[in-house]
Parts: sequence; structure tokens; C-alpha cells
Amino acid sequence: MKVFENINIDFISKRKVAYIVSGTLIILGLLSLAFRGLEFGIDFKGGTDIALKFDDAINISQIRAELEQLGLGNIEVKTFGGETGILLRTELQSVPTEIYGGVITGIQNSILRYEPNAQISISDSTDNSVTIGFADIQIANKVDSKLQNDGFQTSRLDDNNVIIRVGIADWIEGELRNKMPDNHFVVQKEDHVGPKIGSELKQDSIISVVLALLGILIYLGFRFKFIFALGAVVALFHDVLITLGVFALLHGIIPGLNLEISISVVAAFLTLVGYSINDTVVVFDRIRENIKIHKTASLLDNINNAINITMRRTIITSLTTLFVVAVLLIFGGDVLRGFAFALTFGIIVGTYSSIFVASPFIYEYVQRTKKNIQF
Amino acid sequence: MKEFRFRILLIVGVLAFSVYLLFPTFADIQNTNKIKKELSLLTEDLQKSNPTISEAELKDMLLVREDSLMITDPSIRDNREKRMKLGLDLQGGMYLVMEVNTAKLLEKLAKDTDEEFKTLLSASAAEAQVTDADVVEILAEKITTSGKRLSRYFGTIREEDADIIDKLKAQESDAVTRAIEIINNRVNQYGVSEPNIQKQGSRRIIVELPGIAKEEEAKRLLQGSALLEFKIVKDASFTFPIMKRIDEILAADFKGETDSVIVTDTTDAKDLTSEQFAKEHPFFSIAVLGNQSQSADAYVKESDKNQVIAYLRRPEVKNAIPDNAEFLFDAKSFTSQEGVEIFKLYLVNKEAELTGGVIVDANANIDPQTTEPIVNMQMNTEGGREWARITGSNIDKRCAIVLDNAVYSAPVILGKIPGGSSRITGMADMNEAKLLQIVLKAGALPAPVDIIEERTVGPSLGQDSINKGFNSTMIGFFLVAIFMILYYKKSGVISDLALFSTVIMIMGILAGFHATLTLPGIAGIILTIGMAVDANVLIFERIREELLTGKTQKAAVDSGFANSYSAILDSNITTFFTGVILYQFGSGPIQGFALTLMIGIVASLFSAFVVTRVIFDILVAKGNKINIG
Repeated sequence: MKVFENINIDFISKRKVAYIVSGTLIILGLLSLAFRGLEFGIDFKGGTDIALKFDDAINISQIRAELEQLGLGNIEVKTFGGETGILLRTELQSVPTEIYGGVITGIQNSILRYEPNAQISISDSTDNSVTIGFADIQIANKVDSKLQNDGFQTSRLDDNNVIIRVGIADWIEGELRNKMPDNHFVVQKEDHVGPKIGSELKQDSIISVVLALLGILIYLGFRFKFIFALGAVVALFHDVLITLGVFALLHGIIPGLNLEISISVVAAFLTLVGYSINDTVVVFDRIRENIKIHKTASLLDNINNAINITMRRTIITSLTTLFVVAVLLIFGGDVLRGFAFALTFGIIVGTYSSIFVASPFIYEYVQRTKKNIQF
Repeated sequence: MKEFRFRILLIVGVLAFSVYLLFPTFADIQNTNKIKKELSLLTEDLQKSNPTISEAELKDMLLVREDSLMITDPSIRDNREKRMKLGLDLQGGMYLVMEVNTAKLLEKLAKDTDEEFKTLLSASAAEAQVTDADVVEILAEKITTSGKRLSRYFGTIREEDADIIDKLKAQESDAVTRAIEIINNRVNQYGVSEPNIQKQGSRRIIVELPGIAKEEEAKRLLQGSALLEFKIVKDASFTFPIMKRIDEILAADFKGETDSVIVTDTTDAKDLTSEQFAKEHPFFSIAVLGNQSQSADAYVKESDKNQVIAYLRRPEVKNAIPDNAEFLFDAKSFTSQEGVEIFKLYLVNKEAELTGGVIVDANANIDPQTTEPIVNMQMNTEGGREWARITGSNIDKRCAIVLDNAVYSAPVILGKIPGGSSRITGMADMNEAKLLQIVLKAGALPAPVDIIEERTVGPSLGQDSINKGFNSTMIGFFLVAIFMILYYKKSGVISDLALFSTVIMIMGILAGFHATLTLPGIAGIILTIGMAVDANVLIFERIREELLTGKTQKAAVDSGFANSYSAILDSNITTFFTGVILYQFGSGPIQGFALTLMIGIVASLFSAFVVTRVIFDILVAKGNKINIG
């Protein structure tokens, strides 16, 4: 195939165009970061995520309205995995005290629905469980297994007393079952993250990204010249900033695309750093070689030649990588969607930056300092 | 061809080894399907023959059947141990991070607390929520700034503040060990397969329970305080007749229902007499009494344990056990001379003589005189008085130390113990003594733990993720492979061969390390498929360039490879480095991603520099024309 062959473009002289493009993108990104901000998942904020799959089709806005009546404040409802799946999210850690009494009444009502003749009493209640006493052991047995089938966590204090855990997730699930008795659902996924874990994770993420950048700076500084390493890291900042900006700009706008920052999205950013640096190093390697061989040629020619001659490779590798992340984005399911999106977008930006940001940075530096680079 | 022989052998060897490492995983998938099929057939049968069967009974029977299937073919177990494991996100299960609640622990440890202490403690607990500092240190500082010494609340008046802080911290780390033992004990009794319980940092415990997402009761296994009890073991003269009665009842039962599914599978390679014995003595054939021993402890193989539990749950067997007694198993198995894991089964008094609340302290030590490991146990005054009475009236009997219904030790009471200070000997080694110390302390000081992170994946989502991951891998692979052939023609085929061997190697290495495959891990493999061709592309482009300068075929191939080394190495080392950082940063699933990414880099380098190279060299040697795109 003779595509992309014998390209000869003076990329460096056109670098001003790239500056304008990159500058605009970064400013747009910063603006959306400032005004729209990022949407953090519960990995970072703490809270509870529940993914449910119903037997029949559902109406999201109806579920939203039902949940609003619970008095829990804001419960987010999103689609998850097709038509019959939803993802519920609340930042609450436990059932708020104001509505706790109502919750227990709700549980009593469901017990009476299973067994209208049951004689029950509340023998104990703590902030996350309630103990219900039954007059009849047989009925206690029946209710216990019904409650468990409905997703409550129960245990037996003794033959007559059943302890029911009142976690926030159990309760929301219980309410939904009550309100939609004809449409049965199963819990696909339930995540509960405490606030402390979230703040630690934020710290860890920042540390790991900084460490990755530092490591790259040191390695490339050692293998090339410090200015090459700096150029690469500037390009990486460029990629991460713009991709973050896209996350800020688009979250909540495209249906079915969940663009919140979760652990896997942070992993995608680190991978993007790895990919983008890979691309940059290939061009740098060629610049280094050109400088070694063509000692008399100008830096501008050497850089241009390096970019042009590696262009086929750059495009092919970007394409094959884009293929697979696009496959992930389309076929990988909801769990990996944010991850795949960050990579899809990041690979495009990363490829662009290794040509239009990293190399011009070196040229710009040499122009200004009038230093000569030699290997 | 001679010059290539070594490299070809190497490639074939590496690929064959990868496939060999992958074999147990294939076998396990097939075995699992087979077992699943059998069990679902059994479920149907059972429900048909007994429509009122309860969930618990059904579960018991299925467990027993699974055990017996596993025993009949030891390769099943073998393959399972050697297979590539699936992460919780793929097979469903529960992941929990728990943290010891130091504030609650300190509240328990403090003496003569006042209102001020309580305010300081809750302020410290709140502060610890947002900072990295330890509650012990925060509280110590607050007490000091309020003008008091730590010894006001902890330790003795003579102790320096620094010493008290050290001691409290030791208590804290003790609590973590205790909590881990308690959780281990409960999880083992519950019968979760392949649980993973480990300590993280100084105060955290990570618990991974695969495959029990639906049985949400698992969570309550992990919370609530542990119950330590002292129970007197029944005499042999009492126990033996009961066991005999159980044996007779079961034998009679099976005679009546010969085609019952509960009959153990004893089909292969057992001689008639032992088969006959098993039929006549269903209980004694799997709960074996020691020949010489005075006691009536029954020895049960690990693989028979579920069967014995199922027997003991039968209503007619329950009736044969007196109301004041119960059967309990050892918490930990011991290895017999034949290398089989054995649990002892005890008949003990149902009513506990004492509960662990009376224990003040326990310490494992070496007896200076006999150099044997011993455990010293100290009770409070009230408990000590009771203990003296109990030991006095049960001399020469054994007293089982029971934590959450599992027996940790059953020492013989040698004489009346006044004063509440006892000494337990007879442990095999110091580890056993340490374990007993932990268990005894669990009675004295509960280990309050909070669940701070909890992730549950249902089995349906897990299966869905497996399917999606598998499909994406196939689609991704073929897209890339077809693209390479379209672009590079013949050379594209070579790079596809290299890509294929890369994927085989990644899987082989993952299986070889018994690594856990997670959904992000699959994503890592897919991403590697896209990125792995890069090394080949770099080499191809370079060879093409060299050919354009008019070099001979051989020279072009040689310098093509030589000149692309540095670019390939430099770019892959930096990517590998980000993989290392990812591995450090992430937990379970993300680590799986980082791992596949790193393995993928190594495998793709091997493919590019060895597989692709040798194919090119052979083509050149045979005089074929190299054609890049």
C-alpha cells in the first residue's frame, strides 16, 4: 500500500499554526475545567454505587421521580449496560437519621406484606440494623428467607429474632422493590467507598502521575539531552490537560458515555502518558540519529526529516492502537467505557503532540539560546 | 538452516511452554462446566423428588456432591490450583477493605475515663478521618496539650508517655492480627473457595471473597464481635455410644434408600471390604476414631468435612445427639503422616463454662525449663473464681477453647487452677502458641473493624464482562491483523505471526505466575495487541528505507533491525516504567491491567527481535525478495 509515502512537509516552519491550535485547545480545556469542573466518581468522593438489571424495560425518569420522594437528597440515576440496566449513586454513607424511623416502618410493612398475620415487635435497633422479634418461629423462618431473597442482609439473633441490616444500598433496593413490584431486578454491582479511601486515592493518583513524569524526565534526560526530556514532558502535560479538558467539557452531555474520573480513568491517563511518550521517543530517536549523521545539516532540516521519515510508522501505530481502543469503547461494556474514551482521545492528542509540540519545543529552545545540540 | 536452528528451537520452546502453562486453565474451564452441569442436574433431581427441600439442605447436598466429584478425579483439584485465576470483577464476588477502629479500641483500653477523655477521643477520631496521622498519636498530643500525662488514662503511673504510645501502637497492630484470625476462621467455616485475606499497611485488612456476591450474608461474617468460649469435651464413654448410634441411623437410612444421591461416590479402586465397611458404617468410614487413643475424637479428612457436616444436620441424626452436647470441628487442620489434611471432630458440652470476656491477657512464651512453647492466660478476679471451680470439678477432662464455633485447642485440665492464672502447654511449636495467644485475646479485647470500602460484583455482570472482553480481544486482534496484511502484504503476515505469538506468550506468562485476570487486565491485552505491532512497524519501515538506499536484501534486513533497536528499546522502557508505577498505584483490577501491559511489552519485544527476525533471516537466506508494503 502506497499511502503516506514520501511525505515531505516542513512541519517546523508551520509550528505557529500548531501553537495556535494547541493553545486554543488548552485554553478551552482550562475554561471547562474551571467552569464545568470534573465529575469525580465515588472512588474519589466516597459514596455508594448500585447497578441494577431489571427484567423488563424501565423508565429512567420515573425511577428518578420515585427515588426523589425518598428524602435522601440527590440520587443520581444513569443507564448502565443497555435498556434494562440502571446505575444509582448517592454520596451518603448511611441512612440519614431523619428518615431512619421511616425506613424501619417500611421494613415492617414489607414483612406484613409477606405474612399479613405475623405478630412482630421491634426488639432492638442500632444505627445500621434493626432486630425484629416474631411470635412464631415458622413465620420468622419464612420471613427471613423472603427478606434474603429480596436482597436484605439478615441474621438470626435466636429462633424468634431476626436482625436486619439497614445499609443505604439495601434500603434503596428495598424501596425500589416496593415501588416496582412487577419488574424484578438483580443487583449487578454494588460499590461502597468511605470518604477516607477517596481522599487517599486522590493523593495517590497525583503522586503516581508526578512520579511517572519525573521518571520519564530522568530517563530521557539520561538517554538524550535534558531539553529533549523537557520537551517530551511538556508534550505529556499538553496531552493530559487537553484530555482532562474534554472530560470536563463533555461529562453528562453524551448519553451512555460516563465521563467521570474513576480509578480506571486515572489508569487510562497513565497509559496515555506511556503511549504518548512512546510516540515522542521514536521521533526523538530519529532526530538524535540525524544530528549524529548529518552534522552539517540545520536542526530545522534534521527535525523535519525525522518527523517525515517516521510519519508512516506514527500513523500506522496510531491507527492500530486506535482500532483496539475503539473496539473497547464500542464492545467493551460500560465498565470500561470511560477508560476506553480517555485512551481513544488521548492517542489522537498524543500522536499530534509528539509531532507538533515535543519537537518544535526543542527547536524553539535552540533558536532562543543559540546553543548547539550534539550527541 | 543450521544457523537458525537455535533460535527456532527457542521460539518453539517458548510457545510450547506457554501452551503448557495454559493447559490447566483450559482443563479447569472444562471441569468447571462439567461440575456445573452435574450439579444443576442434581438440583433438578432433588427438587423433583423433594419439592419442599430448603435452600440450606440443597446447598449442603450440592457441596457434598462437589467434594466427591473433586476427590474422584484429583486432576480437577490439580488443574484448579494451576489455572489462571479470574478476578472478582470477572467471576463475581466481594472485595472489602476494613480498618481497625482504633478509637473504639482506645476507649476499651482506657481506665477511669471522664467526659474530657471522651471529647478528646472523638475529636481525635474525627481528625484521623482527614489526615494520615494515627489516632494514638493525635490523642496523645491532645492529652498532653490539655496538661495531662498519658498515664492518667493508660498504663501505669511510672511509665513515660513515649512508652505508653509504643504500647498502644502494639495493641493496635495486635488488633489487626486478631481481626485477621477471626475473619479467617469464619471464612473457612463458611466454605468460601479461594478466599484472600491480607494485611495492608498497619491497620487495614483486605478481604476478597470470590463467587459469593449473591449470598450477602457473607458480610455479616466479617462484622460483629467474635465469641470465645471454654467448653468441656465429653468423655469417650459418653461420646462413643452417640457416634455409634449416628452410624447405625445413617446405615439404616441408606439401606432404605439405596439409590439416594447422598451415598458417597466410592466407585473407583476401592476393594470390596472397605466399600462394604463404608456401606455398613457410613459415619465411621469418614469420621475415623483413633485406634489407641483414650479420647473419642474423630479424624475427618478435609475432603469429607462437608459430608460429615451434612450428616450431622440430618434431623434423625440431630435427634440422636443429646440436647446438652454438640459436635465441633478443629479450626485448623493438621497434616497426617500420609500427607492428608485432617480435622478433628469433638463432642463438647453445648453450654459454655466461661466466655472469653473474663480474659485479661494472654502471652505466648518459651518455658525456660523445658524449652517448650507455652501460653500464659490471665483472667479477671471474677473469672478466676469461676475458673477455679470449673477446673476443680473437671480434673483430667479436656477443656476446648472455642472461637466462633471452631476448636483451637483442647488442653487437659491437670488440676484446680486458683487465682485465674493458667498455663497451657502441649503446642507443637511457637507459631501454634502465638495463634492461641491471638485467639485468647480475641475474647479479652474485641477487634473493632469498620468496612471502609466494599465492592460487590454479581455473577451476571462478571460473565457479561468475560464475554465482552473475549469478543473485544478477538475483534481487536483481527482488525489489527487484517490491517497489517492490507498495508504490508507478505510482511504483514510475518507481523501477524509475531502478534499471535505475543498473545500466546502473555497468556502463558499470566497463567505461569498464577496471576489474576481482571477486566482491566483483558483491556491491557487488547491494548497490547494494538501497540505490539509498533516494534514490527518500526523494523519494517527501517528495512524499507535501507532497501531504498540500494542495499542488498541481507544488508537491509541487518541494518534495519540494528537501527531500530534504540527507538524500540527507549520507547518501550518508558512505557514499561509507567506500567510499574501503575502497578504500585492501583489495587486489584488496575494491577491486573498494569501487569498485562508490562508482560505485553516484554512479550512483544521477544516477538519482534526473535520471531520476526528469524523469519526475515530465513526468507533472506532462501533468496526470497523482501517486500515491505
